[in-house]
Amino acid sequence: MPKKYHIHPKVTPLEMEYLYKFKITRGENCINCGRCTKVCIYEAHKRRKGDRRKMADPNTVVCRNCFRCIQECPRGALEKSLHQDFVNISGSHWKADMFLTLFKQAEDGKVPVTGAGYRGPFTGEGFDSMWTDMSEIVRPTRDGIHGREYISTGVELGRKHNHLAFDAEGRLLTQPHPTVDIPIPILFDIPPVQLSPNVMLALIKAASEISTCVILPAADIKPEMETYRANIIPFITEGEIDKYVDILKNARLVAIDYYDALPDKLAAIKERIKNISNAVTIIRVPAISGIEGMVSKLVNSGAEVIHIVADYRGQEINKDKEANFKPRLIKDIIRSVHLNLVEERIRDEITLIFSGGIAMAEHVPKSMLCGGDLTAIDIPLFIALGARLYEEPEKLLLLPDGLEKLSVDIITQRMVNLMCAWHSQILEMMGAMGIREARRLRGETGRAIFFEEIDQETFGKLFKQ
Amino acid sequence: MGENMKPSTVKIKQMPSRFKHQVPKYKITRSNDCINCGTCAKTCPYGVHERPEGHNKVNPPIDYKCIGFECQSKEFCCITQCPRKALSLSLNPMYETLGDPRWTADMITGTWIMAETGYPPERTDLEYNVGNSGGGFDKLRFKFPANPPKVDKSEISTAIELNRRNDGRAPVVISTPVYGGGMSFGSVSLPTMVSKAHNAAIWNTFTCTGEGGYPDILKPYDDHVITQVATGLFGVREETIQRVKIIEFKYAQGAKPGLGGHLLGEKNTEHVAKMREAVKGTSLFSPFPFHSVYSIEDHKKHIDWIKQMNPIALVSVKVSTPNDVDMVAVGSYYAGAHIIHIDGGYGGTGAAPDIAKKNIAMPIEYAITKVHNFLKAEGARDVVTLIASGGIRTAHDLAKAICLGADGVVIGTAELVSLECVRCGNCESGRGCSRGIASTDSELADLFNEKWATQRLTNMYNAWNYQLVEILQKFGMKSVKELVGRTDLLEHIDYSK
Repeated sequence: MPKKYHIHPKVTPLEMEYLYKFKITRGENCINCGRCTKVCIYEAHKRRKGDRRKMADPNTVVCRNCFRCIQECPRGALEKSLHQDFVNISGSHWKADMFLTLFKQAEDGKVPVTGAGYRGPFTGEGFDSMWTDMSEIVRPTRDGIHGREYISTGVELGRKHNHLAFDAEGRLLTQPHPTVDIPIPILFDIPPVQLSPNVMLALIKAASEISTCVILPAADIKPEMETYRANIIPFITEGEIDKYVDILKNARLVAIDYYDALPDKLAAIKERIKNISNAVTIIRVPAISGIEGMVSKLVNSGAEVIHIVADYRGQEINKDKEANFKPRLIKDIIRSVHLNLVEERIRDEITLIFSGGIAMAEHVPKSMLCGGDLTAIDIPLFIALGARLYEEPEKLLLLPDGLEKLSVDIITQRMVNLMCAWHSQILEMMGAMGIREARRLRGETGRAIFFEEIDQETFGKLFKQ
Repeated sequence: MGENMKPSTVKIKQMPSRFKHQVPKYKITRSNDCINCGTCAKTCPYGVHERPEGHNKVNPPIDYKCIGFECQSKEFCCITQCPRKALSLSLNPMYETLGDPRWTADMITGTWIMAETGYPPERTDLEYNVGNSGGGFDKLRFKFPANPPKVDKSEISTAIELNRRNDGRAPVVISTPVYGGGMSFGSVSLPTMVSKAHNAAIWNTFTCTGEGGYPDILKPYDDHVITQVATGLFGVREETIQRVKIIEFKYAQGAKPGLGGHLLGEKNTEHVAKMREAVKGTSLFSPFPFHSVYSIEDHKKHIDWIKQMNPIALVSVKVSTPNDVDMVAVGSYYAGAHIIHIDGGYGGTGAAPDIAKKNIAMPIEYAITKVHNFLKAEGARDVVTLIASGGIRTAHDLAKAICLGADGVVIGTAELVSLECVRCGNCESGRGCSRGIASTDSELADLFNEKWATQRLTNMYNAWNYQLVEILQKFGMKSVKELVGRTDLLEHIDYSK
């Protein structure tokens, strides 16, 4: 039995105002009777500190939308609406509710639990158009929440042999390729904004705490980060290999930027890196049209790990700036890249990382079911710290004021908490699926239910004219 | 209103809201031009405007009483009658904070009206039959024929048999094809639980204990209570198996399939703990799955065990909706179940991880079709009763579920909404439900009495039954049993073009 993997959460509130969903206003016809203070069990309504005869302004942060005060106010003097801030922040991919739930998970590290059934749309775009399966009675592998201790979320990064080779005497000829194990199928991707030193250090420490790695441009790697070298993946261009020999020397993984001629030179590049260290190479490729062919060429050229990067909303990147570009979504890109490699019978030889638009815990196992080996995330780690992201009129990621003064420990813990909550949620989904090894999620579409397929199978068959 | 053949115990009575105000859909704004002449108070028949005796000023408008834009064509409309044109009408921003795409504000409001009056709303400005989820039931519509056979409402039966095995066990018939879902004592308050059972008796149908034991106070309703046997076996005893007509095995719950149940320590009060034979204040888990069931053969052993203990009762098997739900259903039939109860992924819960509610297992709409067809192919459809739950919100959902292949449905959320649940989703935390429905907190569980709650439920069941009868009449059918599997009577707003 492998060592059990635990992430340790600790309640870590931030002393700041973040988004809130509701706004309650007290009308002028309030008679200060205090009925609202009695009926609200969340203490949104209190009397004024200085003047007990009057009611204080409602404390909307604690409002849980129960409507008691609204319905019981004898004068109907209270009004509630959606907070404008909450309405404004909602984008096509990054929905307002995500900010609230990620922020909360970073505070307590817990799986978000609520009462009442699901409240969202029936289906949606991308990952929202799939459900995961569960196993009902049979399949003795499953043990629900009580078996979660024995579910492994670990994944392996590196190249694999398609088959083993033996000599005439039956001796094994094949040498295994070097691999790197991480206990959670999530890497931290290159930060999407400039970070202050404390946040940068916390990001690295959080990666180390949960035994994963953070991808950082080599230029940002400072000598004081030496302690965490096992958790840092330097990102370089091919031309920078010699410049960063010192950094590469100690790395377990190294990420190299893709360009068109790279597949042809890959063998030589790997050789140059091999001369410096044992690091496994990750090729970082943008998710552009034609990605399937690029990936299979890379696999055939001996790539070990390929990291496919969509944009921040999980959309295909419009490389050629086409006018009527209809981007595919990361879910479909993963399926297509994966299936293409399966068709070519080379899928098992390579590790595929996908990133871009991974916003919620459910996106991690879902992208694996679609065919990825693991994911990389960026923006959620900063929402954990109170960042806001606006999609319109253009992408704008805002870190909260004063973040540079916050202690490294607090920032680290919030990122760790978020990952703890995600890890637990991944366990919930795997437990329900009856899958004990994250590695077995990859491409396991038999445990997924795709909207377009099942809707066609049932309603399409019944109702199409 | 024409009535059909419903139980004589059903008595409809107005049962207004417990609260002074409802959640308003509209907002009336009175500008400074108002001269307090009081015309609006005289003209509005709905009581939006009031000028109490001896007051100089008109009171602020009572928004929730306003019927909205359709009023503007009426001669008594305050906006057109106001001599100073000081009044204006708009949608109330508050309405946006009520409901969600699955349970829209209109649907919640409509259900409240049904629970209050016993009939569907007369207002025409509420879309209370379908939600805004953009899929499943919300994309299906009925295809009513232009000239259906004439049927009088008094000839229409909504009764269904639950025992179709002809095995000498109780010939249970329910008068309306709806019964109440399992909500354990502990997850809901005692008045909620008792009123559900009382209403089940009034409507000659059933309610289910959930997994929290069988409180003695339910004994008068033994013939209308289903004893649930779930994986934690809380409160399951020989006597609670023997006193009822239906025993339900709960394998999984649609909202959290494969995860089991979890009563937080805070809700495990002294009362609850006693009922569950557990220690007060500890979190109580119902594991997933039954640790004694790893095959259909094991499952059969369970069913046989129940059948031995109670020689007349029917056995229901409640499962959620994975890809192989059809296989599970057929297996349960061969194991001896009378009722296959499938609970869809979008169903209700007192507490479940959000990630499970949204993502795990398929919505009920697909599962009904799958199971119905598979049972038919297996030649078993006519000898089992197929019950669907998990996302049945309205009478239209009920009729659509039957058209897709169910015999009847189980509801949960709709019952709670009748008791004025706003679906705020805080049933699970701290003191629990601030509206007293899903709370065992001594102060909160006292917010309404059983009499009020029972009447509200009876009214809502009546409104649903009324709508179902209307639908059957429009199809020219005399029994709800004719509706089962009639997908040809439905159309899909995307596919059927």
